[in-house]
Amino acid sequence: MKMLTRLITDELPFFLACPALLWQVVFLYIPFFVLAIYSICDYSAVTGTYFLTGSYYSDIIHSLCFKIILRSFFVAILIAAICFIIAYPVAYYLAVKSGRRYKTLLLFTLILPSWTNLIVQTYAWFFLLGKNGMISVLLQRIGLISPSFHLLNNYFSIIVGMVSCYLPFMILPIYAVLEKMDKQYLEASADLGADRFETFRRIVFPLSLPGVYAGLLLVFIPSFGEFAIPSLLGGSKYAFWGSVIVDKFLKSRDWRSGAALAFIGVMFPIMVMGLTYVLLRGKKIVQRYRQSHHDGLNGNGSAKEFWG
Amino acid sequence: MVDNRQYFWRFLNPIVVAIAYLFLYMPIIVLVLFSFNDAAFSVSWVGFSLRWYKKLINSPEIISALETSLIVAIVTTFLSLLVGTFFVVASRWWRTSMLGNIFYTNILLPEIVLAIGILSIFNFFNIPLGYGSVIAGHTLLGLGFVVPIVKARFVELDPILTEASLDLGATYLQTFRKVVLPLLMPSIIASGLLVFTLSMDDFLISFFCSGPTVQTLSVYVYSMIKTGVDPMINAVSTCFLVISSILVLVLCSLKVVDHVISYE
Repeated sequence: MKMLTRLITDELPFFLACPALLWQVVFLYIPFFVLAIYSICDYSAVTGTYFLTGSYYSDIIHSLCFKIILRSFFVAILIAAICFIIAYPVAYYLAVKSGRRYKTLLLFTLILPSWTNLIVQTYAWFFLLGKNGMISVLLQRIGLISPSFHLLNNYFSIIVGMVSCYLPFMILPIYAVLEKMDKQYLEASADLGADRFETFRRIVFPLSLPGVYAGLLLVFIPSFGEFAIPSLLGGSKYAFWGSVIVDKFLKSRDWRSGAALAFIGVMFPIMVMGLTYVLLRGKKIVQRYRQSHHDGLNGNGSAKEFWG
Repeated sequence: MVDNRQYFWRFLNPIVVAIAYLFLYMPIIVLVLFSFNDAAFSVSWVGFSLRWYKKLINSPEIISALETSLIVAIVTTFLSLLVGTFFVVASRWWRTSMLGNIFYTNILLPEIVLAIGILSIFNFFNIPLGYGSVIAGHTLLGLGFVVPIVKARFVELDPILTEASLDLGATYLQTFRKVVLPLLMPSIIASGLLVFTLSMDDFLISFFCSGPTVQTLSVYVYSMIKTGVDPMINAVSTCFLVISSILVLVLCSLKVVDHVISYE
């Protein structure tokens, strides 16, 4: 007993770190392993044994599912782009131009929608764009659209819903970076004769890039895997990656094919993440490589420096 | 030419801000307004009434869904704060602070992948779905927020403080309780609020992992919308909005908002 207490106090950091790591392993890594097994194994009724197969992957790549994945990919990119175009001026205004008094209020009103339930926000658009919704009725009265024209259940409504749900997640990271930027840079640039556009292009925008990348990821990844918004605003008419996974796992119970679909689909966000990482860190890595290569030629550098 | 361009930028920027805010708030305002409307299926304003709220309170399904959501959110917040804070505190002494980065994957992977992962492991070991699976999934998400936010505060702390405390004869536990924990408090509160809202608002993991017996409020509202538009949904949504605005107000008033913004 005494030895046990001693062990626990001596190795306290290890025992403190254990629960979190265990949680991560049990509920994230082992499930991935299980899904991977599901996707590459199949049961043969003839021989009564399990065998390895890649047919689920090749089936999905050659079927309509792959087109659906590509569609979700392009829609997610479109949404990230729209969010970026709207978000950047807003973040810039909040960080640089707005007065101190209004900043807190503007920030509060920005965080509020991002902390609001996604289903609720989506429902609000459902309510507005529906057949008797306010926007439809308004546009009909003005005469812009005919009564038979539906705003709901098409790409337009899906994109509107997604952009309004994910917009704050693009604004906040850009705002956080711009807020930390030293405002004296702007004055210095103006003193040196650059106009506003030049200052923005050569100073503000390059400095805000980490926030832009973070925002693009935070919008792109959830909209790629989104299920609820297309299902509600698209009227289940448009299949996306998320909705096909829901079909395979919850409705048709086709787990093996579903797992393969999930793995193929998740490659897209991982590729985008890798790309942003390279864009963010690429220059540094190249510099370090050059440095170490140069040092190596002079005989006073090591591979360890490059990786460290 | 230059003057024109400057005027253009000066006015364009506030206009875009106004449009963005209108875009974000128009649906919410209309939703709240119509939750007080005294008509079942009309978009025109009939009169002020609280009848949807009365119907809401008298609906046993909604109340039980709310209870489920609250239980899940409270347990998730407690678990992720406990486990996450322990991990952060340990990572310093253990000299493996890089290990904390593994929790970023929980937020960066699409949520649907986490959901099917949890579903498959519970299915694989034949464990019935229910509170356990939903809490497991939400805590996984919660750790992705708690660990980075608390860690950012923890690495800013002066190690001299803990060393001094240990030198003066305090045990690890006393040092943690009296020195480290009070200093970490702002970030713990901020991430706790964030995880609570996250769990309350989460749809995908609850949808996949709640099983046939347990139903959270998000899933219930989703199925309500799927079956047809009912003004009661407006009332539920308004309640959601009130809850989240209270939480954001707490967040802003505690001056911990910076902790969240940089990591959201």
